[in-house]
Amino acid sequence: MPSLAQLLESFPETHDADAPADAALSEMIDSTALRPVPLGRMRRFGLLGTLQAKIAAAYLFYWVRGWFTSAAERERLLAETHWKSAARVLDSMSYLRGAAMKVGQTLANFPDVAPRAFVETLDQLHYDAPPMHWSLLAEMVRNELGDDPQQLFARFEQRAFAAASLGQVHRAELRSGEEVVLKIQYPGIARTIREDMRNLLLFLLPSRLSKDWESVKAQADDLRRRLELETDYEAEAATLTAVRSLFREDDGIVVPRVHSQFSTPRILTMDRIKGVHLDEFVARGPTQEQRNEVAKRLIRAWYRMMYSGRLLYLDFHPGNIMVLDDGRVGLLDFGMMLPLNDELWTLFHVIDRALTTGRREDRIAANEMWCDVDRDAWTADRVEITDAYADWCWRARYCGGEFDFGDEADFREGVDLFAKMAARRYTRAKPCTPVICRSQFGWRSILYRLRAKFDIRAIAESEVKATGWDRSDYL
Amino acid sequence: MRVSAETKQATRDRILRSAQRLFADQGYDATTTRDIARTANIAAGTLFNYFPTKDAIVASWARQALDDATEAFDLEASDVSGLEEDLFSFVALGLRKLKLMRKHLPALLETSLSPLVTHDAGDGPSLRVAQLEVVAKLAAKHGHGEISTVALQMYWSLYAGLLTFWSQDESRKQEDTLALLDQSLNMFVGWLRNNGAARSATNQP
Repeated sequence: MPSLAQLLESFPETHDADAPADAALSEMIDSTALRPVPLGRMRRFGLLGTLQAKIAAAYLFYWVRGWFTSAAERERLLAETHWKSAARVLDSMSYLRGAAMKVGQTLANFPDVAPRAFVETLDQLHYDAPPMHWSLLAEMVRNELGDDPQQLFARFEQRAFAAASLGQVHRAELRSGEEVVLKIQYPGIARTIREDMRNLLLFLLPSRLSKDWESVKAQADDLRRRLELETDYEAEAATLTAVRSLFREDDGIVVPRVHSQFSTPRILTMDRIKGVHLDEFVARGPTQEQRNEVAKRLIRAWYRMMYSGRLLYLDFHPGNIMVLDDGRVGLLDFGMMLPLNDELWTLFHVIDRALTTGRREDRIAANEMWCDVDRDAWTADRVEITDAYADWCWRARYCGGEFDFGDEADFREGVDLFAKMAARRYTRAKPCTPVICRSQFGWRSILYRLRAKFDIRAIAESEVKATGWDRSDYL
Repeated sequence: MRVSAETKQATRDRILRSAQRLFADQGYDATTTRDIARTANIAAGTLFNYFPTKDAIVASWARQALDDATEAFDLEASDVSGLEEDLFSFVALGLRKLKLMRKHLPALLETSLSPLVTHDAGDGPSLRVAQLEVVAKLAAKHGHGEISTVALQMYWSLYAGLLTFWSQDESRKQEDTLALLDQSLNMFVGWLRNNGAARSATNQP
């Protein structure tokens, strides 16, 4: 994959007099790796505002120029505009990190919405967040674990081997000889996220006049709580331990063990899983059977957590999935989870009925319950579009048999339906809806990348059966 | 009766230890020089022979802590990638040594920490001078040449600001201070780099 600077150099000649020259833009982006996390609210607000303005201006420019250009030329210009926007988004997110990086990862889960090159560039965020220098990192270890990294561990690699959205990951060896990884958080990132979310709410203020403001605010609050919780590695360690207990050796699913004596709310020390990230696995050209096996293990893990653990895994992206040499699948990063409490579990029963039976009336009942909209707001159009989207989400489940998750037309249909719902503002729903949608597109895009073909219903049914859940009333 | 240097040093250390304990137990503001003298088993008047004010006790304590940090700091460390990282290590080491007196540092803002003060009361060159000497050596080590007095003044202003922020930092384990230090040094070294480049350009024929 070419670097961002190389890609920018390959831009067609720009007609945008106001846009920075490619070389200057490349330099600006290259320099972001050296910038620290900006913590002041006004400074960050200013950055966000500038970014919005840059992107808005780029698209406006395209729109105006589009009046004077042929269709083919318009396509070229649109690609160019996408590119420049991608570069600016990347620039800003490298700088803002934290919550903003989560947005980047979400965008990267839509491989066919944005140009492929755009997504591949954003994908680098999974691995290439700007680093903390060693002195800062060592100070974080001293602050959290009470001693120098070299004293605490038999070996500690100064160079990060991966970047996490909230920090970076280092390999180390315990005095007992076990190989571990430490996920170390950027200092002050929790406060950064709180400020990002306050800024986001300020940007949303114009929606305040709409009747759905309360729902929008509740969804933003829910996202803020989840992002804040994600900064608590102690909570993540507890989740990891709970999830790990759900799997047996023969499941072929690996969840790393936590080393609690070297873990705190800001540092998480876990077993090192040796394997390759999902993208590298795909790039090696595995057979259809090998890709299906990885997909099936991922889905089994997803359903096991859902039905047996009452936990929804929300953070599907290639950087969180490892494929081991023996074909086992490792899952990383359990910071973003949705526990299905009693209220959600009750709602989930209604959804489970719909996605199992495939009956239209069951889907409509589930949608009405989930969207919490007044009876008179359920227009025929709303019913039709939300039902079509739910049908897309659940079709593979209720149909059973081999389903082709690599079918581009099918994937695009889901994205188009989602975009249509958003465009018509049919977004009023339970507060956790944005993270659930993110998760839904997350696992679908992973299966799409794998071009997987398998019977998802069979896996779901075996997982439900293992819990002893009696669903005879569905018939 | 003449008092030996050893006895003087022992009394001085006893005063410092007593003050540290009282500041920790009852707070800086609530502690009087009379309390400190009583705890150190000396007359109030004797205490003033060593420290003219309560602030001078804190200044001396800070000076000692920072001297320890300077002594422990490896000026020649080769595993750092740049001036920013070297300065970060140096300042962070100082913060660790100052940890016990973190909350009392504001008492020094108008005296020892002030950019305008060059000497502590009766205590030789200020702690500022000793710190800035290290900064100048590190700048030279990383190829920034002889550092200007303007740059040193800027550094000290950032440093005094950092200590003030740290003294009131309520974040978990004062992690926000580490982020602020990272940002401050990034700004300082960036300024040094740009200023140096600008000076080189100006000096060119």
